[in-house]
Amino acid sequence: MRNYENLVIVKPTFTAEEIQASIKAVEEIITSNGGEIAATNAMGMKKLAYPIEKNERGYYYVIYYTVVPSAISEIERRFRINEDLLRFVTIKYDTNREITAWNQLVQKAQKASEPAKEEAPVKEEEAPATEAAAE
Amino acid sequence: MSEKRKYKKRYCKYCEAKVDFMDYKDVGALRFSLSERYKIMPRRLTGNCKRHQDMIATVIKRARAAALVPYTVTRKQVVTAPFENLR
Repeated sequence: MRNYENLVIVKPTFTAEEIQASIKAVEEIITSNGGEIAATNAMGMKKLAYPIEKNERGYYYVIYYTVVPSAISEIERRFRINEDLLRFVTIKYDTNREITAWNQLVQKAQKASEPAKEEAPVKEEEAPATEAAAE
Repeated sequence: MSEKRKYKKRYCKYCEAKVDFMDYKDVGALRFSLSERYKIMPRRLTGNCKRHQDMIATVIKRARAAALVPYTVTRKQVVTAPFENLR
């Protein structure tokens, strides 16, 4: 098992529910290939540094997980087929130094997501407002 | 060595801060090693050591792929110092 991180950019034309559904699908791809998701981090709707497929914005979502290295090619192949995604970036955390950094990132993401989980039902309405304020 | 040294001695800011790992999602930290046109600054100007320059180069390239940092900036998009290149 090796530590990985995947950043996924979902199309901005979707509604909030459609974005959540496509993120579920992405997580499903990882878990169905034997991956264990350690933490997730929703970076929210952001302006892209350059237009991708004529989109100026995108919904950023980061997934930290561990999986057997041979499964990565299959996961990436499935991501390429998925038309909901503008872009994905897979990062491998291999050396000891990187693995400690990965653990720190996971802890950071878990801390950030724990309070959000408690108010999960309210979150959907709140999310766009807080994201707009953060920008 | 009769002439005076033109620039003061450079040192690696990342070594001083003891950076072991850089996160490509933290765009603010990458700004130091990027020019105003988002080119990767050379080592001779920033004073980075080889190890940290290699780290920052890969991290910036990852951030570019993730559309967090632009690959190129055209003349119209340059904002930080707009009149710099007219001198």
